[in-house]
Amino acid sequence: MHTMRRLLLALLAAGAAQFAAGQAAQGPILIGSSIPMTGGVSTFGQHSRWGSELAIEQANAAGGVLGRKIEMDFQDNRCNPAEAVKSVSQMIAEKKYVAIFDGLCSSAALAIMPLVERAEIPFVVANASATSIAEKSGIGGNKWTFKVNPTDASMLDALVGWLEKQGKADNIAFLGEDTDFGRAGSDGLAAALKKRNHKLASVDFYQKGTADFSTVFAKIKAEKPAALALYAIDADFQNAIRQWYSMGGGIPLTGRVLVDQVPKEIMASGFLDGTTSVQPYDPSVDITPTNKAFVDAYKKKSGGVAPIMVGFESYEATRILIDAIKRAGSTDPAAIRDALTKTRYQSIMGTTLEFDQHNLIHNNAVIIGIKGGKVVVFGYSKT
Amino acid sequence: MNRGAAPLAFLVALAALFAVPRLTGNEYVLAFGVSFATFSVLASGLNLVYGYTGLLSFAQVAFFGVGGYTCALLVTEWHWSLWTSAAAGGVLAALIGLLIGYSSLRLSRHAFAIVTISFALLCMIVSRDWVSLTRGSMGIPGLPVPSLALPGGLSWRLNRPSDFFSLMLGFSLASHVLIYLLVTSRIGRAMQAVKLNEPLAQSQGLNPLGYKLLTITLSAFLSGVIGSLFVFYLTIVDPSIFDFYYTETMLIMVILGGPGSFWGVLFSTAVLTGLPDLLRFSTDLRMVLYGLILIGAMLLFPGGIGGWFKQRRLAHWRKQPYGDKP
Amino acid sequence: MEAGFLIQLLVNGLVIGVIYALIAMGLSLIFGVLEIVNFAHGEFYMLAAMAAYFLTTNLGLGYWPTVAVVSVAGLAVGYVLYEALLASLRGESFERSILLTLGLSMVLQNGAIFLFTTTPKMIVSPYTYANFIFGQVRVPVLRVFALGLGVAAFALLYLVLYRTQVGKAMRGVAQNRDAALMVGIDPRAISRLAVAIGIGLSGLAGAALAPIYAVHPLMGFSFVFKAFAIIIIGGLGNVSGAAIAAIALGVLENLMGGFLPQVTVDGLAFVAMIAILLIRPEGLFGRGVRV
Repeated sequence: MHTMRRLLLALLAAGAAQFAAGQAAQGPILIGSSIPMTGGVSTFGQHSRWGSELAIEQANAAGGVLGRKIEMDFQDNRCNPAEAVKSVSQMIAEKKYVAIFDGLCSSAALAIMPLVERAEIPFVVANASATSIAEKSGIGGNKWTFKVNPTDASMLDALVGWLEKQGKADNIAFLGEDTDFGRAGSDGLAAALKKRNHKLASVDFYQKGTADFSTVFAKIKAEKPAALALYAIDADFQNAIRQWYSMGGGIPLTGRVLVDQVPKEIMASGFLDGTTSVQPYDPSVDITPTNKAFVDAYKKKSGGVAPIMVGFESYEATRILIDAIKRAGSTDPAAIRDALTKTRYQSIMGTTLEFDQHNLIHNNAVIIGIKGGKVVVFGYSKT
Repeated sequence: MNRGAAPLAFLVALAALFAVPRLTGNEYVLAFGVSFATFSVLASGLNLVYGYTGLLSFAQVAFFGVGGYTCALLVTEWHWSLWTSAAAGGVLAALIGLLIGYSSLRLSRHAFAIVTISFALLCMIVSRDWVSLTRGSMGIPGLPVPSLALPGGLSWRLNRPSDFFSLMLGFSLASHVLIYLLVTSRIGRAMQAVKLNEPLAQSQGLNPLGYKLLTITLSAFLSGVIGSLFVFYLTIVDPSIFDFYYTETMLIMVILGGPGSFWGVLFSTAVLTGLPDLLRFSTDLRMVLYGLILIGAMLLFPGGIGGWFKQRRLAHWRKQPYGDKP
Repeated sequence: MEAGFLIQLLVNGLVIGVIYALIAMGLSLIFGVLEIVNFAHGEFYMLAAMAAYFLTTNLGLGYWPTVAVVSVAGLAVGYVLYEALLASLRGESFERSILLTLGLSMVLQNGAIFLFTTTPKMIVSPYTYANFIFGQVRVPVLRVFALGLGVAAFALLYLVLYRTQVGKAMRGVAQNRDAALMVGIDPRAISRLAVAIGIGLSGLAGAALAPIYAVHPLMGFSFVFKAFAIIIIGGLGNVSGAAIAAIALGVLENLMGGFLPQVTVDGLAFVAMIAILLIRPEGLFGRGVRV
């Protein structure tokens, strides 16, 4: 009797353990995303989130990966490198994430890179555009970092090439945020111009969160450049464009102007006609029908907001990561890393994406501009 | 507890504290230890300056950050070792502390408070704008794993959080021993005299400036060193090390513990370091709470916990009958 | 060097200088009458801007009504602030007042971050894109309004301080609190009024600037440090000194900003403050009392 009860208990215990172990194996696959959820770049963080979540929803609807669902946890890094380090260190310490994602701001991504190398977890950069990220990855560098979006250097080279053909590549002034992003912009532009025997007319930086651009705009206008390359994002960009409008503008903008973030009234007024910009993406791209489907699905998710480059990049980067996990056949970070290096992915931009030896993908960039109060696609360029 | 048992109990507690990493690999506990070590040095330093000498200075965080940047730059640019770089960070911070201490001579207390707070802000601005030196808002990420050369030819690689736990807690302990010895000595009593009534203390032959300089310089040095260790724990230094958040937090620890109360401040530091993780408040709500505590303390109980205990002791002492104990 | 460029810089500087002055004067007044450095001063400016944002965006209130409502609210808030928190301090241990206002600033700033997040908010009003154009110089209409409001506030404050009984009493308390008591001035009532006016000025500044810059919980933080530097440069407790120093700083910052990197401009206020403290500690215009 006593023995029977003990045997029964033992069986139950074994069964429970098996069940628990089985449950653990069936739990979702977790990816940790570090994005700015608050602060001056929070709109970008929101788009990154939408893009990633859309990709994950689609993957889960198609049966998940390795028989399990995918889940992404989002941590706020406030576009600040120390914050990024703190939150990602925490995520790594919790030891349940198979990969780290995004970072979004270049400074944050650069700060995260050493962490993932120490912890040996893959890090997929979707939006940070600083060229140094790719320079420090892959062969001879950080083997765990992968960059999906084009570097500033290559995009700006494409832009300058375009401007040069129209004879508009000389006497360009530069104004950008004083961060890795902004400085990558000025370096990239200067390098691209130098190749064609030009140089920047002037270089000015502003602190993120600057309220008043009127003085620096007055200074730039007084120097009468032929164009102004503006490297500002999100809230700073909104502020700057408004004040630029107040000051009467008068000089065409270029660089990486966020043409899809210009306030509607200003766009419609034709004030910014003549702007030429280069971006990794624009919702009106129609090389393949997949973009329209993507835009529609995105709008459904975001409540009517069209995707901006950040949403697109996070979407494709998440899909690439999910695809790698599938091909790895396991959730072992090293296996996922190896699978990433062998990626061949069909992009919405009509290209087949592969990582080069610096773990960098060279997707096409879009050269867009504003004409007649509307955004117009001028062409595409390999990066 | 007789005199013999107290030090023994203390040593046992200490041994237990340092054995923690071996007993548990729990990340939260280790992170708590590092946090506690850092804030305890900062708060005790502030307590030394404000609580014991009566000088309300907000420059503490500047020493912290200057130490951090100095150490990071020396290690990454000139390849010094962590020992020497951290010491250099402390020394530079101490020199700045000396300057600030001298300035207190010429300034009213209002102006001094404003100047120290502006100085902390200036440090943040400089670290952000002087890009060629500090890399600006991008910070200096990827600080290398430090190796400390120990006596006997050994080398200690600090590549796990438990290593930093031991190192920083060890430094905090040493700092506190030093501060304790100082405040219980004749110098300590002199400082308290200066705080209570500066003109009276001067009339007795004490030089207030000397004591102010001593406390500011010492607390600056300690803050600079712990700042150096802290940034290597984080593996990054950026302008956010000068954040007002540090000033606000160490201020609360001192006020709650009681300015001038050594054990009170230590206690409140431990509580306030552990509380956030227990309560899982968002940082902002926690700051709101701290602000409310600060307001409440100023209106109702300026002496803090330590002050409350002191009042009780005094009240008890007053109740004693005159003459010798029966 | 084009005259148009210089004039543009000058005008920019005047506008920002007037805004600095509104905040600095309130701070100076409160210090002069109560001997309290109000660390939370910037937060009231921020709260006013937040209020203006909500009134404009959610309630659809126009520019002028918003400014009026927020300024009056500022007066009321100042009144309540004094009664609730500052009255009991009575200029005692100065550390208590500094730490109290610091605590208040922590509550207000972080409370705002918690409630509204740090994401900046932009007000869109019909005036947002309107400009006055004088030849080569373009000044946004909203900045001109801010300038006008500031000047009007100066005039009003001057009238109150120098032409009314109450104002005289305030100046008396600022000069010598005990003597004022002796001649029968009620320090409590005067202090209350000073705080109300001080916060009211911040309220006006916040409402005037909200449509010009982005509104977010940390906007008061950087302004208030400039305000501290300004009141030291002008002379602690000297209201007109603060106004002059503020305008001078605003103009200088913009003139320098037109030719030098932003870096040097950011540090200007601090460097000027240190210089004044070294050379003339009682401030440019003094107070009669040593700093």
